[in-house]
Amino acid sequence: MSVEHTGVDVVVVGGGIAGASGAANLAANGLSVVLLEKQETYQDIVRGEWIAPWGLREAQILGVEDAFGVGGAWEIREWTQWDETVAPAEAETVDMTRFVPGVGGPMSFPHHTVCELMAEQAEESGATVVMGAQRATVTAGLHPEVRYTHQGEDHLIRPRMVIGATGRGCTVGRQVGVSMATSVHHWGGGLRVSGLDDWPMDVQAMGTEDDKMFMVFPQGDGVARLYINFPTANRERYRGAEGMSRFIADFELACLPDRGKAVYAAAEPLGPLKLWPSVAMFPEQPIVMDGVVLVGDEAGNADTVLGTGLSCSLRDTRAVCEVLTGGDDWSPGAFDAYLAERKFRMERLHFGADIIAKLHCEFGPEAAARRRRVRALMADNFAASVTGLLNMVPPEDVPDFGFSEFFAERLFRETV
Amino acid sequence: MTTKDTLLTDSAHVNGVDIAYVDKGEGDPVVLLHGFPDSHYLWRHQIDPLVEAGFRVIAPDLRGFGGSGKPQEVEAYDMRTIVNDVVALTQHLGISKAHIVGHDWGAAIAWMYAFLMPRRVDHLAVLSVGHPGVFSTPSIEQRAASWYMLFYQFPGVSEQLLRRNGWRLFKEIMGGEGDHQRYPRELAKPGALTAALNYYRANRSPESELRVEGNFPPVLAPTLGIWSSGDKALLEEGMTGSAKFVKGSWRYERVEDASHWIPLDQPEQVTKLLLGFLGTEKAAAVPTRRRRL
Repeated sequence: MSVEHTGVDVVVVGGGIAGASGAANLAANGLSVVLLEKQETYQDIVRGEWIAPWGLREAQILGVEDAFGVGGAWEIREWTQWDETVAPAEAETVDMTRFVPGVGGPMSFPHHTVCELMAEQAEESGATVVMGAQRATVTAGLHPEVRYTHQGEDHLIRPRMVIGATGRGCTVGRQVGVSMATSVHHWGGGLRVSGLDDWPMDVQAMGTEDDKMFMVFPQGDGVARLYINFPTANRERYRGAEGMSRFIADFELACLPDRGKAVYAAAEPLGPLKLWPSVAMFPEQPIVMDGVVLVGDEAGNADTVLGTGLSCSLRDTRAVCEVLTGGDDWSPGAFDAYLAERKFRMERLHFGADIIAKLHCEFGPEAAARRRRVRALMADNFAASVTGLLNMVPPEDVPDFGFSEFFAERLFRETV
Repeated sequence: MTTKDTLLTDSAHVNGVDIAYVDKGEGDPVVLLHGFPDSHYLWRHQIDPLVEAGFRVIAPDLRGFGGSGKPQEVEAYDMRTIVNDVVALTQHLGISKAHIVGHDWGAAIAWMYAFLMPRRVDHLAVLSVGHPGVFSTPSIEQRAASWYMLFYQFPGVSEQLLRRNGWRLFKEIMGGEGDHQRYPRELAKPGALTAALNYYRANRSPESELRVEGNFPPVLAPTLGIWSSGDKALLEEGMTGSAKFVKGSWRYERVEDASHWIPLDQPEQVTKLLLGFLGTEKAAAVPTRRRRL
């Protein structure tokens, strides 16, 4: 026998950034919401921790921006792109704080504490938050059903609508028949560290050297999230007992000031090191059907190298919440605008991610020569750095020419 | 998450506001007063050792903070009003005389409590903030150090400035000190930030910064002043200069390797200093009124 819950408007499956922010918004708007999260308590499981200014704008609209600031988010103001083809003193720095009105720079934050605060906010607004919800199973239809197990007991909810927000696992998507085409360009690893007292907390670093593309995203107070992207062929490099120390040691880089001493000699791990294939996912069936809508990574996502996953998640959630709080029509047709906008957006993000991955996550002498050429091109004409705008402003605000084959060809092949 | 950070045992409606507090132990009462932007939780390392040493510990959340009421108007945070909260709370608890211990704003309140209620004070221990007579004529250096006090003077604007971009400015001001990760969570609660900033608005207007303060009655209680060399906002002279305002015995202790938040950074040393001081000295004689003929 299952425990049955009645009178529920929306079940959100997955309490990450997309799901928890949606639950908070819908509950604040008076809907009866149940949020299911499989973790018992929020832990650092190495998820996205960088959010673009355009994503923060979505958080403001959803009313969850304080969960970021209060949950430990740190505004990053400058972006320095280092590279083995550039002397440390020559590396260029961009001010990131002025791209979106009413929002400062992007933010870097501990993912799990922000999710926890969003879930708390949802609960304070009247949502039911179930931590440790196991084996959530969704059946789509005019009368959708959600079954799950909690503390050994089976539960059943028949809500009006289910939001699938389980991330790259695509748990809900698979249950309702949405499959994903995937492609992997490289692998990545991430680790949260403290002790970077000599690293300027205003500055995020990205760069390529040898067979690594590295990133440093400060979270304030000497804490930072470190990432390294590396070739798929080399995906075992950080496995095993010494993996974590090899990962940190790899931040000794000739292209960084002082060979990166402020990182490799100082970093103390704050959480686990996770490694993953950097998968781009393309849904092969519609992500909206009777009784179910998918959001965030579960609905398809671009290569993580672009860093727009969380911004996308919040945009999805905002669009879906607007439908659910805007009227009684929750039929698939009511989500047409969401689908059209998402299709347009993802085309641009995939296009941009391909350019960034090819430029910064390919390695060896030929790739270095390509970066050198592209850098010269960008120095000559600033418009050539248009792809970087995807990290600041929403995709629809990036000039069209950045998404033309002509532009990509010119960038990579020097044809004029 | 935030609800775990509490040791509160009771709450009482006194002086027109709900005051939440810790009341623990039996013996001579000790009142612990926190500062900005803390709560009773600042004293978490001192409460149990004091109880075990035979004191009754009273640690309120001052109005505007933690679990206590948060009036939104500036006038509600006048120092005398807050002193009266402490008077009313101790009266409510049947305490006529107590050791008074304060940190930051709590120290300022403790000083004023000692001026206004000399008979209600047994021993006085003040951390970080010295006698207001010293502070009212700040040196240029001290003015620069407490720049953030002046910054809080613009009602309506500073909340927004402190909160924007993920509380970036607030985090810069706090740095990695005190309970810096907890403060934004507390201050994000409805009305909490305005209430906390009202302490500065009600008591340190630019006008009063420039005014030379008048006469303070001497402090008769035995007094212990504690200052930390890592304090970025307050200078040692503010504490050492307090000696001349104290008629009771005066003891000064300088704590090394501690930021402004001494009870958190050197918890055992603070406990030891308090245990070695409270109840050990005699008060200066309370002056009797002279009859004029």
